[in-house]
Amino acid sequence: MSSACISPVADKSEVPPTRSGLGLIRPDASRGLIDWLTTVDHKKIGILYGACALFFFLVGGVEALLIRLQLMVPNNTFVSAQTYNQLFTMHGTTMIFLGVMPLSAAFFNYIMPLQIGARDVAFPRLNAFSFWTFLAGAVLLNLSWLFQAAETLGWFMPGDGKTDIVPAVGWFAYSPLTSLQYSGCGTDFWILGIQVLGVASLAASFNFIVTIINMRAPGLTMMRLPLFTWMTLITAVLIIFAFPAITIALAQLMFDRFFDTNFFHVEKGGQPILWQHLFWIFGHPEVYILILPGMGIISEVISVFSRKPLYGYPMVVFSGAVIGFMGFTVWSHHMFTTGLGKIATAAFALLTMGIAVPTGVKIFNWIGTLWGGRIRFSVPMVFALGFIWMFMMGGFSGIMHSAAPADAQQQDSYFVVAHFHYVLVGGLLLSLLAGLYFWIPKVFGRMMSQKLGYWVAGLVIAGFNLAFFPMHYLGLTGMPRRTHTYWSGFGWETWNMLSTIGALILGFGIVLCFYDIIRTIRKGTPCGSDPWDARTLEWSLPTPIPAYNFAQTPIVQSRDSWWHHKHTEDFDHMILYEGAEPIHMPSQSWFPLIGALGLFIFGLSMCLHQAGIPFTGYGAIAGLVIVAFAIICWALEGPGGYYLEPKVPFDKTLMRAKNTTVACHPDL
Amino acid sequence: MKIFNLLVRESFIFMTLMASIFGWFFRGLFGTIALVGVVGCQFDGRQSALDPKGPVALAQYDLFMVTVWVTLFIFVTVGGTLLWVVFRFRDRTGREGEPINNNEHGNPWTEVALIGLSMGLLLVIAIPTVRAVWFTETVPASPEVLLGAWYKGPLPENADEEILTIDVIGYQWWWAFHYPQLGITTANEFAIPLGVPVKLNLRSADVIHSFWLPKLAGKVDLIPGRANWMWIQGDEAGYFYGQCAEFCGSAHAYMLFRTEVLPIEDFFAWAKNQRQEALPPTDPKVAEGMKLFTEKTCVLCHKIQGNSLAQGVKGPDLTHVASRKTLAAGILDNRNSEGVIDPEIQARNMDEWIRNNAVQKPGNLMFYDPMGGLKDLPPITQEESLKIVHYLQTLK
Repeated sequence: MSSACISPVADKSEVPPTRSGLGLIRPDASRGLIDWLTTVDHKKIGILYGACALFFFLVGGVEALLIRLQLMVPNNTFVSAQTYNQLFTMHGTTMIFLGVMPLSAAFFNYIMPLQIGARDVAFPRLNAFSFWTFLAGAVLLNLSWLFQAAETLGWFMPGDGKTDIVPAVGWFAYSPLTSLQYSGCGTDFWILGIQVLGVASLAASFNFIVTIINMRAPGLTMMRLPLFTWMTLITAVLIIFAFPAITIALAQLMFDRFFDTNFFHVEKGGQPILWQHLFWIFGHPEVYILILPGMGIISEVISVFSRKPLYGYPMVVFSGAVIGFMGFTVWSHHMFTTGLGKIATAAFALLTMGIAVPTGVKIFNWIGTLWGGRIRFSVPMVFALGFIWMFMMGGFSGIMHSAAPADAQQQDSYFVVAHFHYVLVGGLLLSLLAGLYFWIPKVFGRMMSQKLGYWVAGLVIAGFNLAFFPMHYLGLTGMPRRTHTYWSGFGWETWNMLSTIGALILGFGIVLCFYDIIRTIRKGTPCGSDPWDARTLEWSLPTPIPAYNFAQTPIVQSRDSWWHHKHTEDFDHMILYEGAEPIHMPSQSWFPLIGALGLFIFGLSMCLHQAGIPFTGYGAIAGLVIVAFAIICWALEGPGGYYLEPKVPFDKTLMRAKNTTVACHPDL
Repeated sequence: MKIFNLLVRESFIFMTLMASIFGWFFRGLFGTIALVGVVGCQFDGRQSALDPKGPVALAQYDLFMVTVWVTLFIFVTVGGTLLWVVFRFRDRTGREGEPINNNEHGNPWTEVALIGLSMGLLLVIAIPTVRAVWFTETVPASPEVLLGAWYKGPLPENADEEILTIDVIGYQWWWAFHYPQLGITTANEFAIPLGVPVKLNLRSADVIHSFWLPKLAGKVDLIPGRANWMWIQGDEAGYFYGQCAEFCGSAHAYMLFRTEVLPIEDFFAWAKNQRQEALPPTDPKVAEGMKLFTEKTCVLCHKIQGNSLAQGVKGPDLTHVASRKTLAAGILDNRNSEGVIDPEIQARNMDEWIRNNAVQKPGNLMFYDPMGGLKDLPPITQEESLKIVHYLQTLK
């Protein structure tokens, strides 16, 4: 039954039930649980990503606070050595794979299609599959806590007698500590969890790349793209080149553990060092996968609140691409202490220094953007300025690490912990908070509290510096990382105490921010569709954004086209609009969810199989069968679809920004 | 004239701002130093890389300071500019009507100049980095550092032409030190001669460990399947603290070691003593302890040269265990307040370790080894333990 015969409707609820290519009734709920489970709308998927990411941020944050409480005083017994090792393993893994990456994915999903004037991403069902697969991996990984609790209560005991059911091998999982001889089924939870998350990241990245390449509005050439969309593209490219390395490494490790292969067993001719190379050739680009979206957000925010176009736009784009490319050439700087030899050490040291140049270019251009502007210190801008400052400090300790002989003292000490938290918390977290404060008014049509926002910024930045600055000192005076305790008499007591206090302040700031987000969504002050007087296409839409996004396809003639559209009478730069016609919308589907569920069953069964639970081997096979079934049904059901009648002209008052003279829509 | 006024006004604002920034910065700096003094925190803490006592650590420290000065310069210039720009171009009353240049898209020459400047600054770091790589990864081989030139004692054939070499082996969670040229084996504590370079061959028996002795040298990993090495030299006699720096399993935090840098004559004496085998006990109480040492299966894992039954290799060599200042890979200290081994403290520590090692060092393999640790045996009573301690204390 073709969907083309259905006449255009004003709202999805008016679409009559249709049958898919399989002969099944398609899910068509427009609200409620079934809508959220079967949705293919990039905006809803973006919100799902965001909500899950923020939840896992809290989980990772609690783990971090437990770590800090344990280290508050010497010889502490607040948590056991094994629990501590599990906490730092899960803290790192959670923050990177379940916190930052999905929150970036939330912005990619929600904002990027709006910035390029598209109706949705290129493959809406694949997009839903990415989200559900991410959730499957996230739940799988964290389910290990439940099994650990069951083990503690005596309800459950792995067959091999090893009690580390939550992974305790570090987020880097260096072989041979991950072999069956030295670790229990926690390592399998880690392997399978990350492997499933990798599927989600790869699927999403292909989707974003195809979307950005093919679905830009007419006239929106690559060099007119908003910076955030550019960074989305570069990040997605990095993911599809970096993740295969970890996928292979994880598959090898899984084969070593399940099928007795010899990739990493030195006594049988394997090489543990192989893991480190494979892991870091993924792991270093991963660092840029994390930070580049943040840099994209910052570029948007600084430009908007300086009321100036981004200074040196081509340089900022190009430096992002150079950073991404060079990210693949410096992995061995994580391995300076593994005995690389003089030539390799020197080469990787120099390349690492080189990466400071494009990073510096970004900072210079942000300052150039501020220069001559009229800077408003709105909350997103405060976070953005904090980002530049903190990221710069993290960059400095990065330069210190690139001097390989000096790094021999810093490697695996608290100095490194300080360095990457300056980049990832001081840098990345602040940029994500800037993004949240910047775009939440667009997403929910409500303004977050400015007063609370300043409090959050103050607490987060002050708490963060108190927590992490002393760690530079701790590392240089000899405190190694990943140790669950330390002795007094080494001069570390005061600084660990200060650090813990700082972490608590930081945690309080984050809780305040989360409270404000929830408060805003429920009963924040309504705001217009363009409260910041912003510059890019997403702000040209009414809030709430219609399901089809753009009633009329925009024709873009410049960078920052929405700014020109509002503030100039220049017909060579403003947005033009194509005529309105019915818009084709994709049908909802159950199969992305079912496919992800299959992956979850597969992963969990594998882990429990390692723990010695009977019949779980069949569960693993069943899981793979479900995945195959979902993919086949997905292919056969067909994309379906229906037509929506766009509402034009849309309300002009929604487009008015505060304190600005609005040039009216030329077509209206 | 207008431009002149503008310049004067701007430079005045700029100077005021910079003065306040620097004032703030130096107040902060001095405040920190004062604070450091107050809380008794010093850069020469026991395990501090900021207090180098050997050429390798010194080279690493000097290079670190180069990076500190260069980045501090960038911090002041770029950070200062950022602060000034944010202050100068803030939106304030009176600027509402001011036009904003909306077509300012950058200047290629500014970009090129800044990139060139960044590269120049990096060169300042790059050159000493490469020099330090070569220095720290080249074993000194001048004639006067070879064993034949300074060592007085028996040496195997051809060892005259080598420098002193120690094989360091990492185990979960302790260290073994073999001196193949001198015929010495010890654990968790080792000695090196003052002012002489020593080559360490780094090997692992199980997972990856990392040898970190901050005052003498940065770390190098012990990786199964790889023949890593490093060289160190102590330029000041003393007792130095180190520990494993690569996460190696549940008791990673308990994998400490100690290094004693001894004046050459003291080193000869130490080496001579360490080469001695344990003599058969004459005291019947000691003999009883030795018997228990066998009965309680200690001999399966520990070696005592001179005791033909104690030939195990899984655990630390105990031939001279009583001569060590710490027990259990550095976590129990046998010294009194004067830094000398106190037999009473040592006896207490040994007894504590024999009976309560699972509490002192959770996860340790003496207790938890799946192939027959103490957990599978009846607990050792205090009486038995003290007899064993009595025997162990004769192993000086």
